[in-house]
Amino acid sequence: MCATGQDPDGGADDARDDSAAAFSALLEDSAEDLYEHAPCGYLSTLLDGRIAKINTTMLGWLGYTREQVVGRLRFADLLTVGGKIYHETHFAPLLRMQGELGGVALELRTADRRRLPVMVTSVVKTGADGQPLLIRTTVFDARDRRSYERELLRAREEAERERDRAQRLATTLQRSLLPPTLPPVPGVEVDSYYHIASPEQVGGDFYDLFPLSGERWGLFLGDVCGKGAGAAAVTSLARYTLRAAAVYDSDPVAVLDNLNTVLNHEYHLDDPRFCTVIFGLLTQTDDGCTVQLASGGHPPALLLRADGTVEQQHTTGGQLVGVLPDPRFVTATVRLTPGDTLLLYTDGLTEARVDAARNRYDDEALLDFATALAPTSASVAITAVRSLLTSFGDGLDDDTAVLALSVPADPGRARR
Amino acid sequence: MSDLVTTARTSGTGSVLALAGELDLSTADRVRSALDALALGPGWRLVLDLSGVTFCDSSGITALVVAHNRARAVNADLVLAGVPDHLVRMLRVVGLDQVFTTDSGADPREA
Repeated sequence: MCATGQDPDGGADDARDDSAAAFSALLEDSAEDLYEHAPCGYLSTLLDGRIAKINTTMLGWLGYTREQVVGRLRFADLLTVGGKIYHETHFAPLLRMQGELGGVALELRTADRRRLPVMVTSVVKTGADGQPLLIRTTVFDARDRRSYERELLRAREEAERERDRAQRLATTLQRSLLPPTLPPVPGVEVDSYYHIASPEQVGGDFYDLFPLSGERWGLFLGDVCGKGAGAAAVTSLARYTLRAAAVYDSDPVAVLDNLNTVLNHEYHLDDPRFCTVIFGLLTQTDDGCTVQLASGGHPPALLLRADGTVEQQHTTGGQLVGVLPDPRFVTATVRLTPGDTLLLYTDGLTEARVDAARNRYDDEALLDFATALAPTSASVAITAVRSLLTSFGDGLDDDTAVLALSVPADPGRARR
Repeated sequence: MSDLVTTARTSGTGSVLALAGELDLSTADRVRSALDALALGPGWRLVLDLSGVTFCDSSGITALVVAHNRARAVNADLVLAGVPDHLVRMLRVVGLDQVFTTDSGADPREA
C-alpha cells in the first residue's frame, strides 16, 4: 500500500483502501456462518426423518433450541396436522422416488403454536455407492407469498361476488323496465312475453299496458337501439314518458311527439339514442275493442283474424323516435271483434339467426307463422311465439318483447 | 361475433366508405372508427357504399345516423349508395328513407 505524504493522490488511495476493507468484511468468508444465518432454513434429516442438523435461522423461526430438536424430532413433527398428512402421503414417497422435490408449500407449527407458511425443497444425498444417506432440506419463509396468494384469492372472490351482483342488478333492472303483470282489461285477453338474450347486458325492449280513463287503456311496445346502461336509461325514460304523456293527451301521435321531444333533449350527435315504438289507445266497444295505433319506425303489428287471415297493420313510414326534430308518425285503427288477436313484437324476433348460414327469420317467415296460428287467442299466440323463440336457441342474440291482445271468441271467457 | 369490412378512399368530390358484412351491435363501432379516419369538409360528398351489407339492425341504423350527423355538422352531403333491398325495407320501416339521400342507380365506384 502506498501511504506516503508526497503522493498528491494519497488521500484518495486511503479512501479506496478503507472501502476495500469494508467490502472484504462484507464477503462471506465463513461457510459455517452462512449456513447458520442464511436467509432461509437449512435442515438435514436421516432417512427415517429424524433431524440431524438444523440452522439457527430455522430454530429462530420455530422458537426451539437446538437441543430440543436435533436427534429428538422428525421433520414431520415440525409440521401442522395437515402438513404431516401431506408429508406422509405425498412428500416423502415422491422424494424417495425422485430423489428431489421442490417448491412444496407446507406449514410449520412453531413452539408457541403459531402456523408458519413455508416453501420446502428437499434433495436426497447419496453416497459413492449410490445409496441414500440423508435428506437435505431448504425452507423458505412463505408468509409474504401466502398473504399475496390470500390477497389474490380474496380479490378473485370479491370479483366473482361483484359479477354476481352486477348480473343480479342487470336482471332486476330489466324486470323493473317491464310491468310485473299486465292489468286485466274487461272483455279483452292480454298476454306478453319478454325474452332476455343476455343476463349481463340490459337490453332495450319495453312494453306496458295501463288504464287511462273509463273504457280507455294505453299500451305500447318499443325497442331502444343498443344495449347496456345507456340504453337502459333511455328505456326507462321512454317508458315513463309514454305513460305520463298518455295521461296528459292520449292521442297516439301526440304521445309519440311528446316522447320525441323528451328523447331529443337526451340526444347526442355522436351517440344517438333513439327508439322505435308502437303506441296504442284501446277503447272498449260492445263486441270487443278498437285500437288506435301510431308507429314511430316500428315493425307493423299483426292482426290475426277470427277467419284465419292475417293483416299487417299499415303503420310503415312512421319515423323512429328521438333523432329527428319533427318526425312523422303513421296511424292505423284496428277493430278487434271476437276471435281476433293483435300481436305486437320487437325485431329481436324477426332478426334471429335460423341456421348455420346465418340466415335470419324475417317478416315473411313471421307472416307465415301467424297465418298458421290464426285464428288464435292472446295466450295461445304468446305460448306459440315463446316456443318459436326457444327453437332459435343461440340464434336469438337480441332481446325480444311480444305483446298480444285478443277478444275471446266466447265472450264470457275473459270476464270469468 | 359478426364480420364487417370497411374500406375507405377519397374521390374527386369527397370520400367513399364501403361497408361489407353485418352491420350490428358488435360491428357498429368499426363504422364509427372508419368515419373518424375520413376526410370530410364543407360541400364534400360522403358516399356510404352499402352494396356489401348483408344484415343491418338498430345499431347499424345508429351508425348510419352518426354518419348523417357527422356530414351535416360540417355541411357535407351524405349519400347512401348500392343500398341492398333488405336495407331499403329496413330504412322504410324506421322512416329514415325520407331522411337519407340514396343513390341506388349510380355505381359508387364512379363517385
